[in-house]
Amino acid sequence: MDNLERKPKAPERPDGCAACGAEGRQAAGKGPGRTLSRTRPWVQAGFAGLWLAPLGQWLHGIPGCVFHCYSCPLSALACPVGVLANYAALFPVAPEAPCLLLGVLLVVAATSGSLVCGWACPFGFLQDLLAKLTPRKITLPAWTGHTRYAVLVGLVILLPLALGYKGIRFDDQAVSICRLCPAGALEAGLPFSVRSLLTGHGWIMSGFKSALLVAFLAAALFIHRPWCRLFCPLGGLLALFNRWSLFHLRFNPKECVECNLCRSRCSMGVKVDQKVNVPGCIRCLECTTCGAIEPRMATPKE
Amino acid sequence: MLSRVRQPPINPALRDLERHDFWAGFAIALAGLLLVVCGARHLTSIETVEGGTAWETQLVKAFSTSGLQFPEQVIPAPPPNGDDPAALERWARQNSQYSAPAWKVRVDAGATTPCPT
Repeated sequence: MDNLERKPKAPERPDGCAACGAEGRQAAGKGPGRTLSRTRPWVQAGFAGLWLAPLGQWLHGIPGCVFHCYSCPLSALACPVGVLANYAALFPVAPEAPCLLLGVLLVVAATSGSLVCGWACPFGFLQDLLAKLTPRKITLPAWTGHTRYAVLVGLVILLPLALGYKGIRFDDQAVSICRLCPAGALEAGLPFSVRSLLTGHGWIMSGFKSALLVAFLAAALFIHRPWCRLFCPLGGLLALFNRWSLFHLRFNPKECVECNLCRSRCSMGVKVDQKVNVPGCIRCLECTTCGAIEPRMATPKE
Repeated sequence: MLSRVRQPPINPALRDLERHDFWAGFAIALAGLLLVVCGARHLTSIETVEGGTAWETQLVKAFSTSGLQFPEQVIPAPPPNGDDPAALERWARQNSQYSAPAWKVRVDAGATTPCPT
């Protein structure tokens, strides 16, 4: 049971620290994190409504900055991961530079890093909701986050590129990120399969993809954000810019009362007490509850 | 009742302050903004079905709507089997104008197939 933990509740009163029991330490709980924590689900729901607004397909030519399937009937923007994989598969036939995709991702990454993961990603929001259903979670070691880069380089770039050189088009590739993606299974495979079932044409999503979807939903109950932590190539890419992004987190040693609240509030297993602008962070800003870590925008005067 | 997870002791004095440089982020954001502007006005080298070259936005949209056409998709059907001269003549008439396409891939901006995979 050592690997099971219960997400702790932050101290209700800002005048003491439940972690260390220290009295008179005024800092714990006075940061903006508590307000942000209450606001975040509403912001996430708002963004989910924005990304999944039934606006038709006229925005499909513009890659979005969050992870969700562009084949979803309600999807407004294109999926950046799917677009990148398509560009890679097309490269042997027509080498094109994905200017728009790189531009969108660079602007978002340089201004906010992985802030969109914690606040704007609809798939992350879904996983957050699923995580609320079960109190006990399995903690994963920090190194497991590196698998996201293996997915990004291997599955999103190199595999479609290699199969493209073999003359196999992306739509015909038996193994691809789109065929393994649980967001695709949930947002596109599931609605189209249900519609097909209702019209008497049977379940059209493959058994493998259906099983992946079930496995992912089950995993999200017991691991906090399993897709984001282990596989999300977009989150991995954006988080690489956490170190340089204009929006960042700043640690103020004068405010720190060593209550460990920052670390215990982090559901992503980041060692917030050591370093906070790291690739494992989704910038949910829960760690700002204690007040020693504060969200900031970089300015030229710093 | 929930209990707090035990955490190792921390030492704020030894902690990295992680000073943030504005200019690095600003330069990357500026480069990204330039790419967005260029991408929005970028004509690719890929033709469209209607003629002319495709905008980058049309290409991106084609990815999600099965809008990419490859030459093997427009190759005419093989001649009909059997000795029916009428069918053979019809096939020959239909494909009299056919010549192997000079393009390797082209964009069908009007495609709307929702889920390519």
